[in-house]
Amino acid sequence: MQKLQILADSAKYDVSCSSSGSNRQANGRMGNAHAAGICHSWAADGRCISLLKVLFTNRCVYNCEYCVNKRTNDFPRASFEPDELARLTVEFYRRNYIEGLFLSSAVEVSPDYTAERILECLELLRYKYGFSGYIHAKIIPGVSPEILHRIGLVADRLSVNIEMPTSKSLEAFAPQKKPKQIFAPMRQITNTLIETNSLKGPGTMFKGQQLNSSENYLSGGASTGHAVTAGRAGLPAVPGRGTFAAAGQTTQMIIGAGGETDESILTTSENLYRTFKMKRVYYSAYIPVVNSPILPDKKTAPPLAREHRIYQADWLLRFYGFSVSELFARGDGNLDPDLDPKVTWALRNLDKFPVEVNTASYEELMRIPGIGHKSAMRIIRQRRFAAVRYDELKKMGVVLKRARYFILCCGRYYGNRKFEPETIRNSMLQMESGLQMSMFDSGGNLLAYDSSWQKIEEGERREKLSLAGVI
Amino acid sequence: MRDYLYDGSFEGILTCIYHHYYTDRAAGIYRREDYQPSLLHGYMEVETEEDKATRVYEAIENKISTYSLRSIYRAYLSCDPDKENKILRYVLLGFQKGHQLGSLHGNPAVHDMDVLNKKVGFEQERMLEFVRFEVLDAKAGQQVLYAEIEPDNDVLELAAHHFAERFRHDPLVIRDAGRNKAIVAYEGHWYVTPLGERLAGGGVVTPDGTVMELSQDEIDYQHLWQTYFDNIAIKERINPRCQRNFMPVRYWKHLTEMNRS
Ligand code: SF4
Repeated sequence: MQKLQILADSAKYDVSCSSSGSNRQANGRMGNAHAAGICHSWAADGRCISLLKVLFTNRCVYNCEYCVNKRTNDFPRASFEPDELARLTVEFYRRNYIEGLFLSSAVEVSPDYTAERILECLELLRYKYGFSGYIHAKIIPGVSPEILHRIGLVADRLSVNIEMPTSKSLEAFAPQKKPKQIFAPMRQITNTLIETNSLKGPGTMFKGQQLNSSENYLSGGASTGHAVTAGRAGLPAVPGRGTFAAAGQTTQMIIGAGGETDESILTTSENLYRTFKMKRVYYSAYIPVVNSPILPDKKTAPPLAREHRIYQADWLLRFYGFSVSELFARGDGNLDPDLDPKVTWALRNLDKFPVEVNTASYEELMRIPGIGHKSAMRIIRQRRFAAVRYDELKKMGVVLKRARYFILCCGRYYGNRKFEPETIRNSMLQMESGLQMSMFDSGGNLLAYDSSWQKIEEGERREKLSLAGVI
Repeated sequence: MRDYLYDGSFEGILTCIYHHYYTDRAAGIYRREDYQPSLLHGYMEVETEEDKATRVYEAIENKISTYSLRSIYRAYLSCDPDKENKILRYVLLGFQKGHQLGSLHGNPAVHDMDVLNKKVGFEQERMLEFVRFEVLDAKAGQQVLYAEIEPDNDVLELAAHHFAERFRHDPLVIRDAGRNKAIVAYEGHWYVTPLGERLAGGGVVTPDGTVMELSQDEIDYQHLWQTYFDNIAIKERINPRCQRNFMPVRYWKHLTEMNRS
């Protein structure tokens, strides 16, 4: 019991508890991975608990500056036995406490030593216990391609954490992790996904494009040639499973530890999306857990509001067809803390507005603040039968308090203010201040959810869920 | 024009709709035991009739859509006190508009149906999240997963498929304690049944009198889960309001991690 306490404690600073994107049918003896990603419970901090999120071990030989588990930090250490963790996962799963396992680990002895034990645990889980719930395995930088491949065969999702947005800050904060060791496994995962015809890409960014083709195959420098062949050499597939990390690849970046701007963080994400076609980049507001001369001190509040805006912008990249350069054009490299990045973009590009909802294309609709995929589709469907009227927009899920400034409906403008950036910005700020109140409690903590939940449109609901780490 | 009173079954509502077209226009449809007589019009007690219900059922499916039929059924499962009349308005509109009904989201009758469906769907999802099984020992080394729920809407059977699929090889029972019915599932199949009682020590007596006790390590796993649950929260971010928003207090009674006895 104490072991679980220690190893859960060490793992909790991870943001992601995603289990979306995989729809595993029950082919083992127990389980199926539900596509929507189920949260089973919410911890006292309001974050969703979907997966049993633990470290395999927290005995680390590395010394990353920002990490509680770093070698020089003096606190209780423990490691699981492979069968022990497999059994625990199964027993939690059948009681419907969890959707699956999110297994991360410190580096005990060496990357390969640890990865082998993790592999043993996951194989026991799949083959001895017949578990077909969700498994997200974190890959330790520097692991050998053979072990990575076998872990991929039993896991639904793999992630290699990039941790820092630039190689300079990686060098400063995690000196034992080399960019090469991070990118080699990322590349291998993408290539294997292409080989197994299962690379899906982030959101709708590559919609309509064939991703699983040889042009997307990533070739590396001489040092990583090895990694590329690992997938292609067709290592014997584990009997009974043909899939390799069907829910794709993700990564995670820490926000607010180094001095990067939002623009440089999101540029890195955009590159990761474009190059590795990974499903998601997760962001984690840095919580000062260790004393360090080069990190924010322990009293610094985690930059949650900033994390929130970055998630919103990331969402715009993956689902709304925006690019980082568009979002930051005519700005200072940081997102406006007071307004949604889509609103900020619209205000800077007022020449493109107002847009008539009855004639705009899907892409144009998607760029209007307050309109998301679902409401855009509803507008398009309904206007085939009859023109959409202003008073119907709300029922279609359009958030009018935002959209009204940017649309025409049947030729009429409903913004009732002067059509210029400052005026709109001010009236939106007044209105948003009410919203902010409900999103942050008195201590400035993000609520991520308020009682108007069911009234918010889907896109926003998803944003909030993703914020809570649900998807 | 009159009010129709029905017995609470889905077929009952459909029979009332049949009478709307073939007997007399319906002013409203009400559950017999909740009815407050109206001053404006008389009422009629409707006997549920299988063949009349089937005709309406098929008409909805063929003339409107399977999608709409499904929304109607799910609206019926909701706990909304006015659901029968919302269904009635929706069906009447549907017979005029045909298959486009589902996309007329701006229409108030369609909107009402969307809202009910959303509520039911939301709670259905919640049940997938919040059901907590306990492992009971049945006879001959067989184990049974047992859970109790008390949802606002009647979503028990909507949750059944998910669990029946997920735990194909563990027989399981989920009991709706408020409505006193249960589903029993095994090997992917499930059925609805009235179900026995809960014993003080956590055991369960089935209708045929068999007693199933909590398995030996059940309490240990519950404690492990509680430990995990307590530890996973980041204390810098403690936020009970947010937690309650996601996990309303009325569900706590059946949540292992929130209900510590
Ligand atoms: S390798 Fe991982 S566990 Fe070890 S110090 Fe670095 S971040 Fe922490």
